[in-house]
Amino acid sequence: MQRSSPPSSDPSAAKAGPRGPVLELRDLVTRFPGDDGPLSIVDGVSLSVASGETLAVVGESGSGKTMTFLSAIGLIPPPGRVTSGQVLLEGTDLLTHTPEQLRAVRGERISMVFQDPLTGLNPVFTIGEQIVEVLRAHRKLSRAEARKKAIELLERVQIPDPGRRVDDYPHQLSGGMRQRVLIAMAISLDPSVLIADEPTTALDVTVQAQVLELLAELREESGMAMVLITHDLGLVARHADRVAVMYAGRVVEQGSAKAVFEQTAHPYTLSLFRGVPSLDTDTAQDLIEIEGQPPDPAFLPPGCAFEPRCFLGQGRASCQATRPGLQPTLGTEHQTACLHSAELTATRARA
Amino acid sequence: MASGEMARDSAIPRQPAGPDDPEAARRRRQAALRRYTRHPGFMVGATIILLLALLAILAPWIAPNSPLKTEMSLVLAEPSWAYPLGTDQFGRCVLSRLIYGAQISLQVGFWVVLISLTCGTLIGALAGFLGGWIERAIVALIDIMLAFPGFLLALALVAAQGSSLTSVITAVSIAYTPRVATVMRSVVLTIRPRPFIEASHAIGLTKLRILLRHVIPNAMPPVIVVATVSAATAILAEAGLSFLGLGVQPPTATWGSVIANGQAVITTRPLISLSAGLSIAVAVIGLNLLGDGLRDTLDPQMRRQTGAKML
Repeated sequence: MQRSSPPSSDPSAAKAGPRGPVLELRDLVTRFPGDDGPLSIVDGVSLSVASGETLAVVGESGSGKTMTFLSAIGLIPPPGRVTSGQVLLEGTDLLTHTPEQLRAVRGERISMVFQDPLTGLNPVFTIGEQIVEVLRAHRKLSRAEARKKAIELLERVQIPDPGRRVDDYPHQLSGGMRQRVLIAMAISLDPSVLIADEPTTALDVTVQAQVLELLAELREESGMAMVLITHDLGLVARHADRVAVMYAGRVVEQGSAKAVFEQTAHPYTLSLFRGVPSLDTDTAQDLIEIEGQPPDPAFLPPGCAFEPRCFLGQGRASCQATRPGLQPTLGTEHQTACLHSAELTATRARA
Repeated sequence: MASGEMARDSAIPRQPAGPDDPEAARRRRQAALRRYTRHPGFMVGATIILLLALLAILAPWIAPNSPLKTEMSLVLAEPSWAYPLGTDQFGRCVLSRLIYGAQISLQVGFWVVLISLTCGTLIGALAGFLGGWIERAIVALIDIMLAFPGFLLALALVAAQGSSLTSVITAVSIAYTPRVATVMRSVVLTIRPRPFIEASHAIGLTKLRILLRHVIPNAMPPVIVVATVSAATAILAEAGLSFLGLGVQPPTATWGSVIANGQAVITTRPLISLSAGLSIAVAVIGLNLLGDGLRDTLDPQMRRQTGAKML
């Protein structure tokens, strides 16, 4: 968390310098057809992540976190469609790629690990066969070479006795082990970006910590950029360099993890924090849940999407009238999409 | 990471000996084999089909007489040691004709399953996996073909092509391919949204590879069961075609033609048609038992229930 690298929002910095963004989304919009015209599930999202950096994307279920990154790698389920924006991977726009070019990029330069390790592996093949398959889909390797590489990869994700485990079937491994195998597959071709979509949600707590520690180690070894999609704020605090908070398909606050935690500038983010138990809160009453449900994308309020649930703006005419865009707060790095973020300073003091 | 933590992470339920133990691997294989050997239906079905196959293959050595040689002095003979089931109206040995008839029936069963399984699997998997207009087109075509009763379709096709073993096999295969394809498509639709398919896309595997390596192997168990049972219907269809004189042409011995020949003398020599009918029934029952057994052993949920019952 110490090395908060500047995310260059300056477009001229798109040519990836050593610390420039590896992956940059600009104004990404993904729409699904709805009964009354298209619904924007991802609504103008701009995010970036630099090599060696971990960006945490936080939000409730249905806030568009996963959809944003599925859109980026061309795996948006039909009938959804990316309608505008750019996805710059090391300077080239993935949205201009053909499906075949995109396929070649996936796994090779940008990889994704999904939520559920228990069903993420094909039950009818050994884990070795599945890793070999990924290697041989992208590289010209003989079976023997690929198998050797597979064993090395299992070793890299700290699976004991990889020479034997390589011939195991998925059902012979525990959940944590399976997630390690999926991670091994995802990093097998040294991608520049690894997207981990709630990689530990299905695992129990002790194993969660081990898997995250492994991801952090791998990121440090290889210098890849990591996107951690999560709703677990505890993970964010420990593992993220920068944080982007999403609500109703938009980024509502982003900045360094330190800034977002200590100088929270959006009431939604603050509400998320107040819903997490910590050692400082003495009683259960101190946990405050956010009232209501995330909005239905078909019935978004005309103004700020969070206004109906907001402790700050509920019922305010200004909030109901305009939908605020991301604005810098104290520094250019820390941005929030709230008209009244200045008032939060006072609330924070009370909280 | 300390090794103590790793050990906890690697704990594997139900296999205290660990998967690395070759002894454990051998025991697992034995347990898998036992699931088949302990299933009475499967064992009976498998035995019947195996015996029939042996009979067909060894027909030249087992059959007491030539299936084609006519003995005019012995027309419609009663059963005897030389002719255990008697002779038909051309003086041919009925038992020998039944034994050779098994060759035709099993060949038809085998080839129809092979062809309709291959084509049906591919067509159904493509439809289920690709979706969109390709799926709609394939489904429409399948529905049109399913609108015809399978036997009627085969009958029309044989009538159009002329009768021979090849045309019977082609016709019955064409009639049964849509059935396999329908099952395959529905299974693929349940596999397509599973996370490991999504993960395969995310690590850049080609669609063809995902289809061949990940979708089809996982869809096979139910399709294999359908295929086994359709071998039985294929044998029935061939017998039916032969009975109507549209199957393999005389004087080749087939079960259907033995029934047809025996029909003329069914009041005086019922044994001829009856024994051929029984042969068909035994083969069909054998294949159905085999299919049921495969379904029980290939489906883990069924396995638990029947496993408890078996023990």
